[in-house]
Amino acid sequence: MLLASTYNEFIKITAKPRSYLGLGAITILVGVILFALKVDGLSMISFVTTSFEQTLTFQGNLLNGNLVAFIILQMLIIHIPLLVALVTGDLVSGEAASGAIRILLTKPISRTQVLLSKFIAGGVYTLCMIIWLGLMSVLIGRVLFGQGDLMVLNSDGLVILKENDISWRYLGGFAVAYLALLTVSTLSICLSCFTENSIGPIVTTMAIIILFTIIGTLDVRFFDQIRPYLFTTHMAAWRSYFEVPLPTAQITKSIFILLGHQVVLISIAIIKFNTKDITS
Amino acid sequence: MIPPSIRVLFLLFFLPFCTFAQDASTLVAKLSAKMNQVKDYSVQVRIQSQIPLINIFPVNGTVYYKQVDKFRIIAKGIAILPKQGFTDLAQLLSKKERYSAISTKTEQVNDVPLQVVNLLPTDETGDLILVKLWIDSTKDLIIKSQTTTRSSGTITANYQYGKQQAIGLPDILVYTLDVKKFKIPKGLATDINRTNIPTKAQPKTGKITLTFTNYQINKGIDDKIFKN
Amino acid sequence: MEDKIIQVKHLAKKFGTFDAVKDVSFTVYKGDVFGFLGPNGAGKSTTIRCMLSLIKPDAGHIQLFGKTLDTHRSQILARTGCIIEKPDFYKYLSAFTNLSLSSRISGGSTSRKEIMEILDFVGLAGREKHLVGGFSHGMKQRLGIAQALLHNPDLIVLDEPTTGLDPQGIIEIRNLILRLRDQQQKTILLSSHLLSEIEIIANRMVIINKGESVVEGEVSTLLNSEEMVVSIEVDKPLEAQILISTHFSHVLPSVKIAQDTLTMNIKKAEIASLNQLLTSQGISVFAIQSKRKLEDYFINMINEHALS
Repeated sequence: MLLASTYNEFIKITAKPRSYLGLGAITILVGVILFALKVDGLSMISFVTTSFEQTLTFQGNLLNGNLVAFIILQMLIIHIPLLVALVTGDLVSGEAASGAIRILLTKPISRTQVLLSKFIAGGVYTLCMIIWLGLMSVLIGRVLFGQGDLMVLNSDGLVILKENDISWRYLGGFAVAYLALLTVSTLSICLSCFTENSIGPIVTTMAIIILFTIIGTLDVRFFDQIRPYLFTTHMAAWRSYFEVPLPTAQITKSIFILLGHQVVLISIAIIKFNTKDITS
Repeated sequence: MIPPSIRVLFLLFFLPFCTFAQDASTLVAKLSAKMNQVKDYSVQVRIQSQIPLINIFPVNGTVYYKQVDKFRIIAKGIAILPKQGFTDLAQLLSKKERYSAISTKTEQVNDVPLQVVNLLPTDETGDLILVKLWIDSTKDLIIKSQTTTRSSGTITANYQYGKQQAIGLPDILVYTLDVKKFKIPKGLATDINRTNIPTKAQPKTGKITLTFTNYQINKGIDDKIFKN
Repeated sequence: MEDKIIQVKHLAKKFGTFDAVKDVSFTVYKGDVFGFLGPNGAGKSTTIRCMLSLIKPDAGHIQLFGKTLDTHRSQILARTGCIIEKPDFYKYLSAFTNLSLSSRISGGSTSRKEIMEILDFVGLAGREKHLVGGFSHGMKQRLGIAQALLHNPDLIVLDEPTTGLDPQGIIEIRNLILRLRDQQQKTILLSSHLLSEIEIIANRMVIINKGESVVEGEVSTLLNSEEMVVSIEVDKPLEAQILISTHFSHVLPSVKIAQDTLTMNIKKAEIASLNQLLTSQGISVFAIQSKRKLEDYFINMINEHALS
């Protein structure tokens, strides 16, 4: 019955106009960034190389598709969670608000299965978003700007990765980015179980992300204890794939923390959803 | 009337300079003549950079040169090269009227006596301020050079020769750069979640090593290669 | 044994400090069309939601098909179809898709043929591709009935199924319910404010008020044991009233005169005697009407419960 319910959720998501808002927004945002980079990309990246250019000269195709994709991912990673939450935050509360949940929960399927099917469908939707982002940024970036080595600016300096050493990093990076977005999706669905209006979970999810991000960036000793366990700290874990040497331990830790968040959030959501009285 | 003792002293004082000046110009002229034997060349190059704050793998490429000042490196991927000290020396030496050479001293480097010659560019408004050459006068080879420019400061290059010694083309060039001014810009591409970065003591110099193999000399190079 | 399809015993549910349901008990037998009555706020909706596992009761015992929801929820709901208040669907999906979604997780068929048949059955043929967002209230009601029937349930719970329907629609639903009972042996629990409809189609009923059961039983028995409200149109109403006071004194307190019509509460068996008395004393009787039995019975029961 879980599969049947999940299939139903896919039908509902694909039929909702709002589901295409996110994909459309990504298309437009990426398009705008690609256009800007095509017009004046070199001056953007010269900002990165300025302090080195007194003594050094950088030869080769700096502004290539790989760098463009990296810049796009870097710019959009704070905005994509909103586009994900826009759909996933509505999966439970939207049906509660419309009353459709009454019919749904009088069917011979357990509430846990109903909720899990929503998590699965939300996860697949998030996967579609990240795949679309990848296609738009990496594929179209490479078509417009060509291929080449990737120059990445990390906190401890500039890393230049060979062209044939990049694709697997992008795959790994996107996989971890997906995990981060999946955590956002899980959070929004969990919040969706506590309310009966559509906007609440979406706004609350974004507020939590913003709050945790601020806590993560404030260089205050008080927050040092909790910072490593905030999921927002690990939302940028995808960048670790572009470091040399690859910080495997750090990436593994990020993966486990993100997965841990999802387990906790799903558990909370299941408990709430199963004990909730449907009075709407 | 100048006393003879004073004349002798005067001669003793200026004679070495006159002698050196003549030697410096001759020495540099010999170098130029040697280098001018090469009308064009292409060579495979491997560029290895050890520069603080930059992590880059070795890059392979091809260097193309054609007299007088056509020069291009085509590398697969991104290569980092010193801004100065690579082509400007060859360009300076290509025309005698571009510089004046002054011999300063002799230095022992690896048990080899080297003549230290200063090249002062005649163009006082240009970026190049001074080029210092350590020359093995027995072989007419530049062993070390130090280029000072207004924009880039001082870059030192060490030359190692192999098969192409006779025409003054090195097998290995090692550049040493001043990296004190290097810093990481915050913003576009930084990791905002990283705080408390442990500050390591940053070395003050960086190195770029160019290893040349498979010189193709005076085989003719199409001018199209030098167009971007 | 499945003779008792629904058994509710001492059901209670509180929301905060408010007792939505205090002590509701009733039994629905196989083949019943069971009327579930109560004024607004009596706890009908809460009771139905408890029966269908939408709300967890604080106390009491519910069994459907001899099984409890705690242990056999899926089995019970697989045999149950329901409409709870106004049926809400996915507005951005068509009628057909809404039904196929519902049927897929009910264990019913999602074949196009069967869905089209049920749409035709409820009078929505030709509307299968229309988005539900554009449906009128009555059309949604019909669609709700369709989704309740699609998986061929044994028990049908209908909460206000005729709300928003025109008189023709109400009659159609009434006939449908009777057909389901007679031809398909469905058991139906029907909550409605249209007491006339309950009176016509229900064979058993319960009345609840302020979260408590007031009375339960066969409709005919409950209504016949009580006095009927009767209107008699005569030519001499005052003389008729005097006759009633001497021969039917127990009726006198309830007699009201409006122009030539006397209205009173009187037992069914006494109507013929009264008619004979009036005509024998020279009073012409033009019409005798019994008015909205269940409605008055209902109001009486509620008022008595409120006083007790």
